[in-house]
Amino acid sequence: MYIQVRALKNMKVVTGVVGNDIHVVANRLLELSLDARGYEVFNLGVNTYLEEFFDAVVETGADVLMISSLNGEAEGWSREVQLLKAKYKHLDNLIMMIGGNLVVGTGSAEDIIPKYKNYGFDIVCHQVDLNTGLDQLEAFIEERVVNDSDIKESNK
Amino acid sequence: MSLLQEEREIILSNEYVDNFDFDEVAKFVKGASKDLFISHHFKQKNKMLVQPRGGFPTYQKQFALNEFFVKANVDVLPLTIDSNTRLNDYATAKKMLRLSEENDVDMLNGYPLVNHGYRTTRKMITHFNKPVSLRHGTPDARLLIETAIASGIFEIEGGPITYLLPYSKNFPLDKAFLYWKYVERVCANYSQLNEPINRESFGPLTATLVPPAITIVIQLLEMLLSLEEGVKSFSVSFSQTGSMNQDIVTGAVIKKLAKYYAEQINCADAAIHLVYHQWMGAFPTNKDYAEQLINMSTVIASMVGADKIITKTREEASGIPTKEANAKTVANTQYTLGILNGLPNIVDEEEEEILTLQVKAIMEAVFNDPADTLWRKVFNSIKSGVIDVPFSPHIINHNKMITIRDAKKNIRIIKRGNVPIPDRCYAYDKAQCDLTKDTTSIVNDIIHDIGIMQ
Repeated sequence: MYIQVRALKNMKVVTGVVGNDIHVVANRLLELSLDARGYEVFNLGVNTYLEEFFDAVVETGADVLMISSLNGEAEGWSREVQLLKAKYKHLDNLIMMIGGNLVVGTGSAEDIIPKYKNYGFDIVCHQVDLNTGLDQLEAFIEERVVNDSDIKESNK
Repeated sequence: MSLLQEEREIILSNEYVDNFDFDEVAKFVKGASKDLFISHHFKQKNKMLVQPRGGFPTYQKQFALNEFFVKANVDVLPLTIDSNTRLNDYATAKKMLRLSEENDVDMLNGYPLVNHGYRTTRKMITHFNKPVSLRHGTPDARLLIETAIASGIFEIEGGPITYLLPYSKNFPLDKAFLYWKYVERVCANYSQLNEPINRESFGPLTATLVPPAITIVIQLLEMLLSLEEGVKSFSVSFSQTGSMNQDIVTGAVIKKLAKYYAEQINCADAAIHLVYHQWMGAFPTNKDYAEQLINMSTVIASMVGADKIITKTREEASGIPTKEANAKTVANTQYTLGILNGLPNIVDEEEEEILTLQVKAIMEAVFNDPADTLWRKVFNSIKSGVIDVPFSPHIINHNKMITIRDAKKNIRIIKRGNVPIPDRCYAYDKAQCDLTKDTTSIVNDIIHDIGIMQ
C-alpha cells in the first residue's frame, strides 16, 4: 500500500492559469510545491486556454490536470470543460482539480464547489491555502488507490 | 531618405493618425519651452523631483487630474496610457473612449494618446508647462512615442526587457528589441533639436522578490542599448526592496556601475539619473497604513539619493485612485522631502562589494555571448537563463532562480539557476538565510515575504 502511494507520487501533473489571466505568483509557487512533493510538473504558466491544457495532458500522459484562476474567469471557461474533454479519448482516469479564486466578485464555497463538481472537477479549492489544497489532492489519490485495490481484491 | 525615416512614414501613415506633419513637429520640439524637458530640470539639481502616476480616458478628466497635481505642487506630470493602446488595439481604445465620453463612466484604465492625437494633447501639455512622463507598458511603442513627443512629452519610460518580461507571456522578445531600437533612435534624433529627450527604464520589473543584482543588470543593459543609439539622458530605476539597507546599497552600486559601463562604450557625456519607486508590491488595505508606508518610502528615497521619486496612493490596494487621493500623495511627499534634513551618510562596504561582484559577473557573461550585437547578446542571455527574473510570466524566462528574505528582510538568492552568481557571493547570500527548512516551509516563507507590507 505504502509503496503504491509512493509510486503515485511520481505522477505527472499539468498545471497553469486559465484564460486571459496573467497572475503568475501562485502559479510559480505551485510548481515549486508540487515538485517538492514528488510530482513531475508540466507548468503551462499563465494565460492558458482550455485546449492547451487538454493537449498537454495527452502529450505528457498526465495523471492530474490542475487548473488555477485568480481573476475568476475560470467560471466562464469551466462550463466548456465536459464538452471539450469528451472530444479527447482515454481521459476518463484523469484527476481534474481546480483552485484559486473561482468567482468574479464574491461568492461562498458552498455555492461554488457543487457548481464546479458539475462542470467535471474532482477537487475544487476556492480560496484555499496552497498546501491545504495539495493535501486534498494527496488524500484523493490515496483514496483512489485504496478503492482500486478493493476492486482488484473483489475481482479475484 | 534614411531607412529610419522610411519606417517612420509607414508607422505614421496609420488610419488612426490624423496627418502627421514631420516638419511641424520638428519645429515644435526645437522651439519648445525648456520647462517641458525633465532633462533640463535634472540639470538644475534643486531637489528630488516628485512624480505621481495617473491617466484617465477623456481629455477633460486628464486635464482635471493635472490641475489637481499642479495645485499639490507636482514636479513631473504623468500620462499613463490605457491597456488597449499598449497592445496596439487602437480600434477598441477608440470605441471605449467614445463610450467614456458619452456616458461619463471610465471605460479605459488610462489615456488613449494615439486616439486623442498630438494636436489635441499638445494643448494640454503646453498649457501646464510642466515636464510630462509617458507611462505605458507597450512592447511595440513606435506609434505611441511618435505621438507623445509630438505632443510635448519629453520623457519616455520603458524598454524591451522591462516592458515585456513582467507583463507578457508570448510577445516575441526579439521583436521587442527591434521596436525599442526605433524608439531610441527617434528619441536620439529629437534630442539634437533642443534639450535631450529623457529615457527611463522600469526597474521594479515584477516587484516580487527580484534580487538587486538582476534589477541592476537589466537597468544597465537597457541603458547601454539606449546610449548606443545616441540617447543623451537616461534614468535607471528600482523600487523599494523591503530592506532600507538593501535599498541604500542598491542605489550606491547602480550609480557607480551606470557611470562605469557608460564610459566603457564612450558615452560618458550622457547624463544618468536615478529614479526610486515607492513600494511596488501588495499594499495594505488600511489606507492610513498605506500612507505610513508611502511616507517611509520617501525617507528611503532620500537616503538613496534619488533624483526622482514615483509615488503611490493610499488607495493602492483598492484600485485606480481618485484625483484627490493622488494629489494628496504628491503634497504629502513634497512636505516630507521639505522637512528631511541632515540625513546621515550610510555605506555598507561588504554588501556593496558582494552586489558589485554579482552584477559584474552577470554583465561579463552577457558580453561574452558570441552574438554580434548587444541586443542579440542580451536576448540569448535571457533565453539561456543567464538573466532570470523571478515571477516573470513570459515563456522565455528561465524561472530557475529562487529568492527569499533573510531575517533583516534583504532579498537573497538561494537558488541561482543559470545565473552566473560567483560562488563567494552565492555562499554569502545563502549564509544569511535559514536553509534547513523543507520546501513547504520555504514556499510559506516566500508567500509571507511577498506580502511583507500588508
